Amino acid sequence: MTVDKTVRRETLFVAAWVGIFSLLMQAVFLVIGRWDYTVLLGNLLGAAAAVGNFFLMGLTVQSAVRKEEKDAKQAVKASQGLRTLMLVVVAILGAVLPCFSLWAVLIPLFFPRIAVMLRPRFTRIGGDVTDE
Amino acid sequence: MLELAIGIILGCCALGAGMAMIAGIGPGIGEGNAVAKACEAIGRQPECKGSVTTTMLMGCAIAETTGLYALVIAILLIFVAPNMLVNILMNAI
Repeated sequence: MTVDKTVRRETLFVAAWVGIFSLLMQAVFLVIGRWDYTVLLGNLLGAAAAVGNFFLMGLTVQSAVRKEEKDAKQAVKASQGLRTLMLVVVAILGAVLPCFSLWAVLIPLFFPRIAVMLRPRFTRIGGDVTDE
Repeated sequence: MLELAIGIILGCCALGAGMAMIAGIGPGIGEGNAVAKACEAIGRQPECKGSVTTTMLMGCAIAETTGLYALVIAILLIFVAPNMLVNILMNAI
């Protein structure tokens, strides 16, 4: 299965911002004096889950737009359920295993949303990057 | 009596977590509808496929955040809240 150009570009954009926000989060933990290796490992797990979730959503959307309306709806619903399950497993791992800080696992899950909110600003500055 | 209070705390936390996860149903339905409409739009104007896919991806990412909020609340209610509430109870006694 080939990854669509749009999906690859958006995933890279989100991954870059997740990286930047992760560094910021590490800095905040360092400043408040709560930093240790569990924060770093938790951040890595949470960021990987967040970017992976976005990428899998992109793959689902990419395959769904080639299907019939009804099939596309079902495929996206099923994918969303499975991806939520994946995030539940990641969050439980972060809570149960002592090598992960729970907050450092949970906070990066919201980074893609912030990256998406920033997207229109970059589209305006750099021209219409959404066009193929 | 103390055991009963702790039991009520744990039960309420579990119930709250379960109720929070009901919010996880919404994004699936919303994303499904968005993708179905996008299929319709691409079928009507195939040359807009790139921009429709990008917009839809962004929309789906935003719609999914609601489910994430629910997930985080549920995880906190299961793993963080019981200890905190039991500690408060113990300090109060």
